[in-house]
Amino acid sequence: MARNTYGQDEKLEKPFDFRHLLRASVYIKKYAKQMICALLLSAVAAGTGLLAPMVTQHALDVTIPEKNKQELVLLGAMLIGIYLVSVTFSAVRSRIMNIVGQNIIFDIRRDLFGHLQKLSFQYFDDRPHGKIQIRVVNYVNSVSDMLSNGIINVILECINMVFIVIFMFMVDVSLSLVVLAGVPVLMLIMGYIKNHQRRAWQKVSNKNSNLNGYLQENITGARVTRAFAREDENEKIFADLSGQCREAWYEAVKYSNLVWPSIDNVSVGVRAALYLVGLLVIGRGEVTVGVIVAMTSYAARFWQPILNLGNIFNNFINNIAYLERIFETMDEPVTVDDAPDATLLPEIKGEVEFKNVCFSYEEGKPVLDNVSFSVKPGESVALVGPTGAGKSTIVNLISRFYNLNSGQVLIDGQDISKVTLHSLRSQMGIMMQDSFIFSGTIADNIRYGKLDATDEEIKNAARVVCADDFISAMPDGYESEVKERGSLLSQGQKQLISFARTLISDPRILILDEATSSIDVQTERALQTGLNAMLEGRTSFIIAHRLSTIKNCDKIMYISDGGITECGTHDELMAKHGAYYKLYTAQTVA
Amino acid sequence: MKTGSETSRIGWLLKQMEGNRLLYVWGIFLTVVYNVMQLTVPYFSQLIVDDFLTGENAAHNLENNPTLLIVEVAAMVLLTFTRTIIVYCACMTYEKVSQNILYKVRNRLFDKLEHQDMSFYDRFRTGDLMTRLTGDLDAVRHMIAWVVRMLVECVVLFGSAAVYFLILDVQVAACLLITAPVIMILTGAFRNRVKPMHEALRERLSLMNTATQENISGNRVVRAFAREDYEIAKFKEANTEYSKANKKTVLTWLTFFPFIEMVANMLPVILLIVGGIAMIDGRLTSGQYVAFSTLTWALANPMRSLGNVLNEFQRFSAASAKIIELDMAEPVVVDKADAIDHPGRFEGDIVFDHVSFSYDKLPIIRDLNMHIKPGQTIAIMGETGSGKTSLIQLIPRFYDPSEGSVRIDGVDIRDLKQEQLRKNIGLATQDVLLYSDSIDGNIAYGDIDMPESRVRRYAKHAAAREFIEELPEGYGTIIGERGVGLSGGQKQRISLARALAIEPSILILDDTTSAVDMETEKNIQESLRNLSFPCTKIIIAQRISSTKDADQIFILRNGQITEQGTHDELVAKKGYYYELVKLQNGGVA
Repeated sequence: MARNTYGQDEKLEKPFDFRHLLRASVYIKKYAKQMICALLLSAVAAGTGLLAPMVTQHALDVTIPEKNKQELVLLGAMLIGIYLVSVTFSAVRSRIMNIVGQNIIFDIRRDLFGHLQKLSFQYFDDRPHGKIQIRVVNYVNSVSDMLSNGIINVILECINMVFIVIFMFMVDVSLSLVVLAGVPVLMLIMGYIKNHQRRAWQKVSNKNSNLNGYLQENITGARVTRAFAREDENEKIFADLSGQCREAWYEAVKYSNLVWPSIDNVSVGVRAALYLVGLLVIGRGEVTVGVIVAMTSYAARFWQPILNLGNIFNNFINNIAYLERIFETMDEPVTVDDAPDATLLPEIKGEVEFKNVCFSYEEGKPVLDNVSFSVKPGESVALVGPTGAGKSTIVNLISRFYNLNSGQVLIDGQDISKVTLHSLRSQMGIMMQDSFIFSGTIADNIRYGKLDATDEEIKNAARVVCADDFISAMPDGYESEVKERGSLLSQGQKQLISFARTLISDPRILILDEATSSIDVQTERALQTGLNAMLEGRTSFIIAHRLSTIKNCDKIMYISDGGITECGTHDELMAKHGAYYKLYTAQTVA
Repeated sequence: MKTGSETSRIGWLLKQMEGNRLLYVWGIFLTVVYNVMQLTVPYFSQLIVDDFLTGENAAHNLENNPTLLIVEVAAMVLLTFTRTIIVYCACMTYEKVSQNILYKVRNRLFDKLEHQDMSFYDRFRTGDLMTRLTGDLDAVRHMIAWVVRMLVECVVLFGSAAVYFLILDVQVAACLLITAPVIMILTGAFRNRVKPMHEALRERLSLMNTATQENISGNRVVRAFAREDYEIAKFKEANTEYSKANKKTVLTWLTFFPFIEMVANMLPVILLIVGGIAMIDGRLTSGQYVAFSTLTWALANPMRSLGNVLNEFQRFSAASAKIIELDMAEPVVVDKADAIDHPGRFEGDIVFDHVSFSYDKLPIIRDLNMHIKPGQTIAIMGETGSGKTSLIQLIPRFYDPSEGSVRIDGVDIRDLKQEQLRKNIGLATQDVLLYSDSIDGNIAYGDIDMPESRVRRYAKHAAAREFIEELPEGYGTIIGERGVGLSGGQKQRISLARALAIEPSILILDDTTSAVDMETEKNIQESLRNLSFPCTKIIIAQRISSTKDADQIFILRNGQITEQGTHDELVAKKGYYYELVKLQNGGVA
């Protein structure tokens, strides 16, 4: 799959349909009780509300002409009573529905985030991170009202409409048909608007997503921007993306804002038709004045819910664009997942075996071609070779970050594709080239490897990797706040912290992928003494270009051309005078 | 930073409206017009009812003057049509102005971000900055597009209805208007209550943004530690906190709303009793009563909306404080007003003159002196945390030294223009940051008009050409954010190519080849020696092989230079460097 950039809209494969709403019903179902309760409350509130005009009518027709002031006050009090009931019920309904709405988006967000945790590296590698983020945070917020109040209101307004239609037909059939004639006209208009509107709002979501993607990369990459004095260029790009957002929005509201006036006009058109048809075509005598007056008032009442539905409809169309994106992410297949009958991997002894492993990131470009090797428990294995040869790939496969094309990876004789990911990875300590630091304290960052680690354990881990000195020298020591991009720490220091983080997790298999590249040789040497003591009896894989780091490993594998070309101890490989020998002699300064 | 009172926030907003004010006033004018029309259009349908349905002469009129009916109906339709067109125009005017301002402010904030110094970025979390440029800005947009319009609508409807009522009958009108102060007190109390909640809500949103963003950026670490459940729990907390804050804010409104609604509902009740009694006493005609009752909504609706309008205003207020803070933030590292204009190439003579540098009160560089002559290659080595990276970050002026000065070609870099200075420096940082863009676009980052031949040439210099050309789409291959999808060594080489491609007069390589294999590194060194342009090179590395050929090697320790000289000189000295050589050569020096 092609990677996505800030300059590229994400194509949406699926056509629009209301099935997205159906799908959202999974989230709504949970709150069915509350929803029904709210519906009933609304019905009661609306029903009570209907009494008000009756009271007023009585006052105007009977009480006032009879000059009965006492009764008038009484009727006023009744009116207050009616309003009290109706307001109370609607207030309770609003409270319930707002909580439901918040809970629904909480659930959606939780599931979306949970799903992201299952997705492979590839998913994150393939698109700007800002584009993923905007879905979790902004898009989910947008759909809250639609999925709570929106749905209730649709139901209410529909019921409302049905009742009014029944009443209308009871009064006069032909005039009712006149009123209903407005509906197909409106449908035609709305159908036209809808098509444009949906596409326009999708564009808005795309353009916002692009902007977010670009923005995030720029904040993360601020240092590079400064270094290359690229500010002006970036501003131009941003202004362009920002302008596209503006155009897209303006285009979208052009259609959205049409909905309401259209309904308004059709509804007045219907009223006009009522007068003309009622008075001129059918003529007085055929229909009574009372019927026409009643029909106009029904017509007004009929179009009010439609007006409301129009607003809801608008809201739906705008937000379905977001809902589509949310579900699209949730539908992203999990490529590396627990097998249905996955078992727990027992405590690892440390035997690792590759059996005829073939692997490629992209079809037709094999990275590993039929690789086989086995490692005994407790052995330390070094992987060396040119960049891009597949060293990182091999260690990534041990943790099952990717699925194999063919072959097997076995740990203690067990195929790792048949054990749960959690039982596998929680026993591995992997330190990658890119040492990511979370914002929080240094202690928090180390504790990430073992959540219940005591302060003493944290300090110990830091001591083993020789990080204790510099951490203690900081103003707040282990409690010093670091930020994700924080330049408070040098790259080497970040590596030491993530090293401590790996060690504290007490891994059964340790994987160091260029873990010490930014650490000076002396620190590394000191670190190794502590490390060796810790690693006693545990299998470890080390990738390093500085050969001094790996000379003492039990086994050194030279990786190139998609496979292992040399394998043995340092001395054996030196004696062989092959690629390793060449590499080693090149590094030692004459 | 203090972001001032609400008045100053509105003042800020008014300032942003510059250039769009006339259009905005036009929008407000249209709002007034359509609201007045909304009050008068019902009059026409009333006219039809009176003339042809219920009036005394209805039957007569219909028979003798059917054209009048058609005229009146046509007038009703036409007026509605006109009104809806005006509504549409008004809405679009608000959208236009709000989008213009959003566009303007968003771009300016981005420009601000682009010109902030590094200490700013050390202070703010990515997720928080993102919130400011998205959610917070949207609240500002909403203020211009919706809040103000609603406010105008409230004022116009309420105001004109009140005036009309007072003309109709002072006594009844006064009784109805008594509700207004009650509403004012209620909404005022609500506003005070909800104000801090919007501030809290906004913070929660920012925290949730940060939690999401770091999880996404750190996805590899999460997987590696099988910490998905922990991350989910962590996110759940952010999600819950946000949800709670949101509920709290909304429920506050819902607590006040029934009271407001009830007060608004008192209007027809008051009318019924007061108006009814007045009618009984003969002080009010039934026509006047109908006039009152058909327009009660014009008093009631604004009362209902006002609270919501204020609620949204508070959201704007909380968000705008964050935006103004960003808008006002001034970088510490700035060009001097009388900065020297030096558009051309620098010689590349670098002097550190008694330079000290502290970060967060932590001294990092202490009284350091160094002189690098044009065209020299120097190497800096030292322990982790000894200040190597901090030292070289002073050259492109990412930070200013706390004492002493850095001079290039004899000029204090604080007297130069940052852009001109940085255009002369090619920097390949330790933490390789590539963009989700094509490889070609990444290498040409320093100059988007760079010819393709140059991209290829420097890709070759950086020993990256082979692997790039092996990719199915070659230079057009899109690489992920931070260059994911490439191996560490490959990323470093692209970053190196990017630094070389601008043909800088000063090249700084901060541990740029640490993940590159030895043979490739040899090739890179070879091409660095044979660059076609004059260039001072500063190399930070851990491997002796990367540094041994340097003209001068500096050993840094605790922010000071402890050893200095060529490879041979330093080996002869038998100090730190000598130990390093020994360590890396397996004991052979």
